[in-house]
Amino acid sequence: MNNNEFDVIIIGGGITGAGTQRDCAMRGLRTLLIERSDIATGATGRNHGLLHSGARYAVNDPESAEECIKENMILRRIASHCVDETDGLFITLPEDDLAYQQTFVDACRKAGISAEIIDPELAKRLEPSVNPELTGAVRVPDGSVDPFRLCAANMLDAKLHGGQVRLHTTVTGFIREGDTIKGVHTRNLITGEERDFYAPVTVNAGGIWGHDIAALAGVNIGMFPAKGALLVFAHRVNNMVINRCRKPSNADILVPGDTVCIIGTTSTRIPFDECDNVSVTPDEVTLLITEGAKMTPSLSSTRILRAYAGVRPLVSADNDPSGRNISRGIVCLDHEERDGLKGFITITGGKLMTYRLMAEIATDAVCRKLAVQKACETADIPLPGSEEGSYEAVAQKIWEKPSTAQKAAAARMGSRASRIRTRDRLDEALICECEEVSVGEVKNAIERLDASTLTDLRRRTRIGMGTCQGEFCACRAAGLLAKAHGCIDKERDDLKEFLQERWKGNFPIGWGDTLREAEYTQWVYKHVLGL
Amino acid sequence: MKFNTVIIGGGLAGLTAGISLQMAGKSTAIISEGQNALHFFSGSLESMEEAPQRVVDLFAQAGISLHYNPGYRLMPMGTFKKSTLSLEDISLFPETKIGNKALIVSFSGYHDFFCGFLQEGLEKQGVQCRVQLLSLPELEHLEKSPSEMRSVQIARTMDLVWENVVREIRILLRDEDTVILPQVFGLKDTSVLSRIRQGIPAQVVFTGTLPPSVPGIRTQMLLKRRYELLGGTYLMGDQATGAHIHDGSIHSIVTHNLGNHFMEAENFILASGSFFSKGLRSNPFEISEPVFGLDVEQADDRSDWYNPEFMREQPYMKYGVTTDASLHAIKGGEPIKNLFAIGSILGETRPELGTGGGLAIRSALEVADQILKQTAE
Repeated sequence: MNNNEFDVIIIGGGITGAGTQRDCAMRGLRTLLIERSDIATGATGRNHGLLHSGARYAVNDPESAEECIKENMILRRIASHCVDETDGLFITLPEDDLAYQQTFVDACRKAGISAEIIDPELAKRLEPSVNPELTGAVRVPDGSVDPFRLCAANMLDAKLHGGQVRLHTTVTGFIREGDTIKGVHTRNLITGEERDFYAPVTVNAGGIWGHDIAALAGVNIGMFPAKGALLVFAHRVNNMVINRCRKPSNADILVPGDTVCIIGTTSTRIPFDECDNVSVTPDEVTLLITEGAKMTPSLSSTRILRAYAGVRPLVSADNDPSGRNISRGIVCLDHEERDGLKGFITITGGKLMTYRLMAEIATDAVCRKLAVQKACETADIPLPGSEEGSYEAVAQKIWEKPSTAQKAAAARMGSRASRIRTRDRLDEALICECEEVSVGEVKNAIERLDASTLTDLRRRTRIGMGTCQGEFCACRAAGLLAKAHGCIDKERDDLKEFLQERWKGNFPIGWGDTLREAEYTQWVYKHVLGL
Repeated sequence: MKFNTVIIGGGLAGLTAGISLQMAGKSTAIISEGQNALHFFSGSLESMEEAPQRVVDLFAQAGISLHYNPGYRLMPMGTFKKSTLSLEDISLFPETKIGNKALIVSFSGYHDFFCGFLQEGLEKQGVQCRVQLLSLPELEHLEKSPSEMRSVQIARTMDLVWENVVREIRILLRDEDTVILPQVFGLKDTSVLSRIRQGIPAQVVFTGTLPPSVPGIRTQMLLKRRYELLGGTYLMGDQATGAHIHDGSIHSIVTHNLGNHFMEAENFILASGSFFSKGLRSNPFEISEPVFGLDVEQADDRSDWYNPEFMREQPYMKYGVTTDASLHAIKGGEPIKNLFAIGSILGETRPELGTGGGLAIRSALEVADQILKQTAE
């Protein structure tokens, strides 16, 4: 067997691609995943990180709501180290119609979501940051999920099942024989190496970029790029997810995650050529703060860490200009049936919450083509890191008397944190003080999790995501990367790119302490370090 | 409490003004919140193309020897930067070349000094480099704690054991003509720098680390000591919160710690720094000066405050309080008769005074001279 032949090639290193690779690998297929950038660079890493209960969709899209609550319960089991079981509130404010609450609760229950109307006074006690003027509250099983961690864990499990992953590699064309896709031409964007890979089935899991990938294969899927903008606040202001109990609208979800909280989102149709470089406008920032402060008044005086935007991979159904009325439903296209193109499947639509189900549907389609009978097990077998329950128990087991930094590592890595336990105390030194990331954890991400740039490291370790936004940790981590890769010249450019990427999310909210920090960072890198 | 001059801000600008006035026999007080830009001082004074004897003397009397030698200095990322007036820590070279062979020395477990970048930068210039990491038993107590291997903590230990480092380097040194060390020496005693240079048979180049800056903190301590020895009152950890203004003059200022005891003076100097030091404050709509509510030069539209490219010049860094020809601060379009603004709170509104350290020193001396001239009149 040649080392460039597989049973299935998956294009796209977001959560859908990673989940599909895991499922295929667990069913015994030889898999290759190709990603042109890094893991979770598209919509996967650019959302709230909300573990939807499905309540948000219950009234308008009961099918999605049912999918969400089922997957919600599954993720709590299989991805416990990526999930924070916070619960959520749907609050009614004086300007909202309280009558909607009953419609909402009825729809939730019909979809199988436990939704309990609670006294606003109790809601204030459960979640002190909530607007004290609320007139109604419903408690639902929302939570938060770390999409980077979830994506990395899926890919890691695929690799543990023999899968191969090629990051920073782009598909330049398809190998086609008659009406059949036989494989892909690729180019590594770092080394420039060009290689061909062969498989009887190729899965397009490229998110919004799946549109272009399909076009490269000669088929058309009408997609609808809808930009959503979000803001990250520097403190975890709320401990429960807070939603508005009304028809879904802009800036009506506040999700706590790790040490921060995130408000979003908006929905604006954008042209395809803007998908690679979405930016947040001053109007969007104003909208997010104004609407967010209605749910949680203290947001108006909380430091904002950064602004970012993602592009939802919606499949267009009609000419709705806002994109809000399009179903978030899962779309799996077998291009043999649809377009007469054999060996090619597209899995798209859907959402972070339903990635596992999407992967199952796509893998079922792959298995049908390959006549493989094995059943899906991804809903039952925990992801690597999630086998052993709470992070505190995990940390205790590994270190006996874990420090806060070691607990933080256990929370990020789950049971895989045992990989960074070492006898070398120098590996315990902190690279990132905001998020308490040690030398050992950075080395682990470089050696075992395919991190080749600082931005890759950020997605795997949270380096540079804290209050200083990479001011101190970026150059320390750059030193480690340079040492590991032996290429210092490239690392200098990598450092510049990383700082540029951080600034891109900082300047749209560049005032107050954020501007102080930015001024300091700019001084340090230009005048003190001489970058 | 009544002084001739009350200075808000205890960084380079405030201390230079305070020392100059105390030397002329004026009673002054400095209100300082604590940290300032000297804590990340590169060691070279920006935009000091000339070296006024007065500045060199002022620093020398504080125990800080500045040397004037226009040329290039080695930066921590392995690049070179044009510099002129610098602390004795800083080696200045006539060209962007430091020698033929260099030994770069750091400490194992220390991540705030970038041997790899230095090596790569120098090798591009044709300098052969060798990196050696020292493991000193005296640093073990720092290595044990994950966040202790930082410049100032190491410098405190180096004040005691620098001779061991010299001994280790003498053993390690082969045929290198240059030894590059992190700036973690001479925190308390500057003579250590020259003793290290004498003890190593090669030229020694001290190179910057991530902040805090050891030479910067030393400079701050020495200037503050000089100011206090001259009789100045340095209120550490206090903050000016407001002012009483009558007929276009400041009568007194209010501080956080002193409460109802107002600080009265004939003159007031605002040396509270830029955004980082909270001399300037910003919200989504405007940039303001928090103590007196002075006029601040700025673009009205927030979108114009930034350049989307991180490494480019940032418009917001140029903003500052507006002043008249003699550096009187302006409020509501009118100069305040006895309030001066100096240092980086001016941003780049007074380009003729330079930027960074040059701006701090020039504006401080100019205002001190004016205050002394007034009194003489």
